[in-house]
Amino acid sequence: MIEPGRRHLHIAVHVIAIAGLLLVALTGRIAYRTARAFPEYALWVAHEYEGGAEGDAAVRERAGRVDGAVRRVGWFLTITVGLSLALLVTSHVMLVREISRREHIERALNDANRELESFSYSVSHDLRAPLRSIDGFSQALVEDVGPQLPPDAVSHLDRIRHATRRMGLLIDELMALSKVARVEMKRERIDLSDVAEQVVAELRRQQPAREIDITIAPGLQATADAPLVRLALQNLIENAWKFSSRRDGSTIEVGQMRDANGAPAFFVRDNGAGFDPDYAHKLFGPFQRLHSVAEFPGTGIGLATVQRIVHRHGGRVWAEGRMNSGATFYFTLG
Amino acid sequence: MRSNAKAATMNEILLVEDNPDDVELTLRAFRKSNIANQIVVARDGVEALDYLFSTGAHAGRPPTLPQVVLLDLKLPRIDGLHVLERVRAHPRTRLLPIVVLTSSIEEQDLVNTYSRGANSYIRKPVDFQEFVDAVRQLGLYWLLLNQPPPPPMPT
Repeated sequence: MIEPGRRHLHIAVHVIAIAGLLLVALTGRIAYRTARAFPEYALWVAHEYEGGAEGDAAVRERAGRVDGAVRRVGWFLTITVGLSLALLVTSHVMLVREISRREHIERALNDANRELESFSYSVSHDLRAPLRSIDGFSQALVEDVGPQLPPDAVSHLDRIRHATRRMGLLIDELMALSKVARVEMKRERIDLSDVAEQVVAELRRQQPAREIDITIAPGLQATADAPLVRLALQNLIENAWKFSSRRDGSTIEVGQMRDANGAPAFFVRDNGAGFDPDYAHKLFGPFQRLHSVAEFPGTGIGLATVQRIVHRHGGRVWAEGRMNSGATFYFTLG
Repeated sequence: MRSNAKAATMNEILLVEDNPDDVELTLRAFRKSNIANQIVVARDGVEALDYLFSTGAHAGRPPTLPQVVLLDLKLPRIDGLHVLERVRAHPRTRLLPIVVLTSSIEEQDLVNTYSRGANSYIRKPVDFQEFVDAVRQLGLYWLLLNQPPPPPMPT
């Protein structure tokens, strides 16, 4: 993207260069014309500097040579300057075309973003309304005529309500995911250890009875968007909390290591259910789940959110794990 | 003067909602919460403004104001945000308690409604039981607990 300041500078440089060249070209042309218009000048030069009388054939010959040289210089100047001028004008035109092309692309991108905004808005607003009707009137049926209905029918109505609530949850999570992609980013220095501690404190507050050993390495620093990174860490730690819930002595570790290229990477490790490494590529897709909802509840949007956040920071996210032997999620923040 | 002003506020609720299902469910939720106040339904922003300002279809209606307005944002003709602006711009209605009751929790909606002077913002939950709870609390708060602004002086 060309910022307006830079663009103006570019154009100013072109204008100055063109004006300068124009001046030189005119001078060259004038020198040439002078040489042509005043052949006696060449004669005078020859006469003055080489001696001899005006009628002298040798002087006339030399005058002719001087005259020719001046002409050649004039032409040379005119052609060189003319060519440079043409080049400058061409590059100037190309720059202007490039700018307008970029402006066109930016406009198209802005239009697409606006369309996406209004699409998301309408999804969040309009898709939930029918769900409220389905849930509300199913509930009304149970309340009003429940006792007259056969037990099967009541159970069907329960299933309908359960499904509508799940659909409502899916819409909300999908909206949250699309928001992660749209929200404006501001990088600042953040202490990931602090953020992880806060996430863990909130989980412990929600489930005080859970026995779990959590280690958070101190002083994990990153330059990143605070709310987004908090959301990513929250998803990873909540996952670790959830997927280690079905075993005794569950542990979670949040720390830092170096990746294959020696760049610092953060990780969240648990000793829970793990995953089948054959399907690791599916982990980060939205609504992809490697465990059933009955086994571990969830919508499958958490890791997709983590991936989107990490990618927005220009980072990388990957996972290591085995069935029933825990999982480790690594990420860098660009 | 004083008795006039007193009559200017009735304990009714103005529900501005275009979706008939939502109207039905909201009325049901009020019934289930034993809220017996009269509920006036406006199906779009124009009807709501006509009701509040006694114009159009409601021309000649005595200039009373509801105790609280439940306002949806996405409405035919004039949307909720414009209703809010018009109500806040008029001296007679500028203090009227307005609770936005909508599907969206998009940040832009929250910012837009609060910056235009909404008193509260409630998201309609998909779960009807949660909705009944929300309506019950809303009724308790805005009809019983909250002290309404003094009624406008008759002009």
